[in-house]
Amino acid sequence: MSYRTLFLAVAVAVVLIGTARAADEPKHPNWKGQWNAVVTPGLVGQQFKFDPTKDRGLGQQAPLTEEYKKVHADSMADQAQGGLGNYPTARCLPGGMPRMMASEAQEYIVTPETTYILLSSANDALRRIFTDGRDWPKDIEPTYQGYSIGRWSDTDGDGTYDLLEVETRGFKGPRAYDATGLPLAFDNQSVFKERFHLDKADPNILHVEITVIDHALTRPWTVDKTFRHNRNARPNWRENVCNEGNANIVIGNENYLLRADGVLMPAKKGQKPPDLRYFEQGPK
Amino acid sequence: MRNRCSRKWVAAAFCAVTMTTMANGAATAADEDKYPTNWKGQWIRVVHRDVEVQGAFDQTKPWGLGQQAPLTPEYQKVHSDSMADQKNGGLGNYPTARCLPSGMPRMMTFSNQEYVITPETTYLLLTSSDHLRRIFTDGRDWPKNPKPTYGGYSIGKWIDEDGDGRYDLLEVETRYFKGPRAFDASGLPLAFDNQSIFKERIYIDKANPNILHDVTTVIDNALTRPWTSDRQYRRLSQKPEQWPENYCQEGNANVVIGKENYFLRVDGLLMPAKKNQTPPDLKYFTQGQK
Repeated sequence: MSYRTLFLAVAVAVVLIGTARAADEPKHPNWKGQWNAVVTPGLVGQQFKFDPTKDRGLGQQAPLTEEYKKVHADSMADQAQGGLGNYPTARCLPGGMPRMMASEAQEYIVTPETTYILLSSANDALRRIFTDGRDWPKDIEPTYQGYSIGRWSDTDGDGTYDLLEVETRGFKGPRAYDATGLPLAFDNQSVFKERFHLDKADPNILHVEITVIDHALTRPWTVDKTFRHNRNARPNWRENVCNEGNANIVIGNENYLLRADGVLMPAKKGQKPPDLRYFEQGPK
Repeated sequence: MRNRCSRKWVAAAFCAVTMTTMANGAATAADEDKYPTNWKGQWIRVVHRDVEVQGAFDQTKPWGLGQQAPLTPEYQKVHSDSMADQKNGGLGNYPTARCLPSGMPRMMTFSNQEYVITPETTYLLLTSSDHLRRIFTDGRDWPKNPKPTYGGYSIGKWIDEDGDGRYDLLEVETRYFKGPRAFDASGLPLAFDNQSIFKERIYIDKANPNILHDVTTVIDNALTRPWTSDRQYRRLSQKPEQWPENYCQEGNANVVIGKENYFLRVDGLLMPAKKNQTPPDLKYFTQGQK
């Protein structure tokens, strides 16, 4: 074998080995940058709802059980009177899943072991989706965001993963889908199954298909949330702080409002003031 | 002859493409290999239990006055007023007690931290009301009109200090803050003008790979000189199974109405935080008290 032929053979071998390695281990996708929630104009609730293609609240047509339809109706009735209803986010508690996935700006950091989702919400800033092949922990410490395990797939076989399938369990509450107090079951046994992928026709659109299985529902409920890639390579990342300027003051089971002058006022018509029995002095 | 010549050109072209492919691959791999891989895992602040447990700026000294912060006389008074108010049950100059973000530098005292390093940005993920820091390492300059934040705007630069071909030091400068912010729970103040500048040198200890240093220098108008502290973090786990979720608003008993702080009892009733504290003004309520 001549030197030239040997050289060619080595070169071909290198290329083949490289190709084989790429086929064995698909690359993780580049989903860098800022993704902004796609909002359908004219619908109530902007992006802060579960199904982005419908109005929030009753307009969502959530398949609630009779029991949880009443929870929702009671929530809206309380809110009509000035209360917070079944919406803990108004008290600056985290929204948790799935409310957190309605945040207006998201960032995806994909590593082989974990996919991180950074969110622009005030109290829901981060999700970790473990993709390192781990099993469910024996004792999951319940959280608002839950414990997420994911698996990447290369569905079109081009050597790059293009689909992230995620299951999330291990919740605590209270949690609601939207500001009307559309409820998740109080037992916090929700299971979420998500499919993250870029749109085949438009790679600047990210789909997050979410299916929720929950005891407040008569059947699994699936929506397709979409996010558009921000063309600005160095976008602004807002710092949202719920407690800044939140006028809701919850004392016991009652919500009151704090006026701009710093004085408490009723949130509901005819609302009784807070019980001040532990004060030696009378009210100002 | 013509045919042989063609074969030579094809072989040369093939070799060139192959070499280019290999060179590109090697360059990309080399670039990626420059970033440290030994910062993974869950880090918590080293606590010197004999001197401080409250998350002070200088971990080696007690919090509050024990920090011996080089405060100007004006801000020494702010600090002493804060501690006097707290002694009476008030919150003093400590906004974190109202569940506002702590911002820099207090946010760096919270536990369970994770570094996620990409060539463009190093993310510091925190488990507190101060959720995360983005340290931009893409060579950008300071933005023209940044919106002030509690965490500030951070630009970093990776350095291969020992010349082994891999970055081992992250130098960071952080500016453009909003407030109020305090160094610790005693209300040890940063200047109210929020013009602080932080310079950090973050690296793994040479002798102990499970210790991370964040040597932080604060330049602030509340201080008579730059104040530096070597803040240290211990790696709890290389591959943690769970990350805790901490939310200040859960179970926070402080209820701030106007300029007064009150306590919320377990039974949901309001009580004074200070001796002989006047209750909240109820002039906008038409009904009598419960």
